[in-house]
Amino acid sequence: MAAITNTSRSQPGPALIPVDIGHAIYAAVTDPDTAFWALVDKTRLAESLTDGPLLEAYGKEYDNLKRELHGLRFGLKPSGVYLNPTERCNLNCTYCYLPGEQRSSGSHMSQKTLFDSLDALRSYFRSVMGDTERKPRAIFHGAEPLMNRGAIFAAIDQYADDFAFGVQTNGTLLDDSAIEFLTSRNVSIGLSLDGPITNVTDATRLTWAGKSVHDKVVRAMAKLRGYGSWSVITTCSTENLPYLKRMVELFHAAEVPTCMLNAMRCTLPGARGVKPTDGDMVKAFFNALDRSHELYKETGRKLILANFANILLAILAPTARRLMCDISPCGGGRAFFALAADGSLYPCSEFIGLPRFNGGDLLTDGVEAALNSEAFRPVITRNVDAFDPCGSCAIRHFCGSPCPAEAAEMNGGMDKIGAFCDFYKEQVNYALRLIADAKANDYLWDGWDEETETAFSIIN
Amino acid sequence: MLKTLQTKEVSKPQASTTKPNGAEVAPTIAIRKSCNPDGIGLSHYVLIDKKAAK
Repeated sequence: MAAITNTSRSQPGPALIPVDIGHAIYAAVTDPDTAFWALVDKTRLAESLTDGPLLEAYGKEYDNLKRELHGLRFGLKPSGVYLNPTERCNLNCTYCYLPGEQRSSGSHMSQKTLFDSLDALRSYFRSVMGDTERKPRAIFHGAEPLMNRGAIFAAIDQYADDFAFGVQTNGTLLDDSAIEFLTSRNVSIGLSLDGPITNVTDATRLTWAGKSVHDKVVRAMAKLRGYGSWSVITTCSTENLPYLKRMVELFHAAEVPTCMLNAMRCTLPGARGVKPTDGDMVKAFFNALDRSHELYKETGRKLILANFANILLAILAPTARRLMCDISPCGGGRAFFALAADGSLYPCSEFIGLPRFNGGDLLTDGVEAALNSEAFRPVITRNVDAFDPCGSCAIRHFCGSPCPAEAAEMNGGMDKIGAFCDFYKEQVNYALRLIADAKANDYLWDGWDEETETAFSIIN
Repeated sequence: MLKTLQTKEVSKPQASTTKPNGAEVAPTIAIRKSCNPDGIGLSHYVLIDKKAAK
């Protein structure tokens, strides 16, 4: 039994593929066509794959599950936008996906253009989201959005009734008044920190003048303690991999509600120079994940590792995913899109340094034109069913083979895998082992399933 | 809006194996939950707005 087994389906309908997840008692069986999975006693694996109660029950739900997955993969309309209010950033991180020239000497979007853009975006989202109570999400993103603080703060107040706002910032400009402004308006705040100590953070995240920013970010974290809507991203590189366990300890001590320990995106060459191997990433990541669980058991307080939690969600409840990288096609140009500081639309901020993915100007061409553009098409049609090795992978709809920008730039095409295939396989195996041991909820947000309904359940 | 799927139960098999400590284990585990999708996060940002801010 292979870890991730290839198969061919002779005819449409349910077909289960065995997957060795490294568990003492259970193996997994999956049907990638529907993202269905089950854990079966390994001594009974053969009967699970042929006629039996599992296959019979699954067969009755096959069409519904397939329809649900198809809707998630191909039926979404955008409900969020990543707004880049400036091209500039005060940092020069080694692995950034945005071109250095833009970040060092680029332009700000004017307040008028930002307001005009939000007017256009409000009209677009109303046209696709209707009169739901849910607001579209507008995330100020970078480069460093707080370098254009006046414009984005004015926008947050002007459009408070129209959008749920967030900001992803490097944290260096997050002074007391900015924190007061953002938290008093319930803006979701994301920070970035790559090390538990100065020297580790400094290895990849410095100002253009080479100055450390570690202490500023730690101070901002301290100010945000107790706020309900914030998170911190750590980008995992060769430079900080030995310190991930200490990152988790720092975040937990700082009462960070959610963090991400992300495998870096290798879209631009700078990132590839500090790219860890899959094997090193697996070892360090799961040491850190295990430490987060120990801390939860010791204190009763969770630090959610959102990138891993999202893999768990992809398995337990595909439609409850919060991150839309780990699905194919990804969320770029489907669940969300990005507005660059020059007014151009891209499928995702990851593409802003790649002009061939420019889908046109928001104010002159509009969102629909961009979504239907040739520039967006390769991204929104990237389908892991259609290329190898993903097309024969049993877990392809738990991981989605991220990221298309990375695949295109690093590996030569959208029909190639991303940078961390083996790491994703190990995350899926780990997640399935947690489910087998009834521990999955320890790694998920409390109440994560309150708005879900059970679609299929066998535990006997 | 996605259709809500129906719960299906499967009859219990004849016997079950045990964990090393002797506890019985379920021979089969399969869970799938469903909701209206609204995820817009990505590797550069995860929206955490499901809990009220202070």
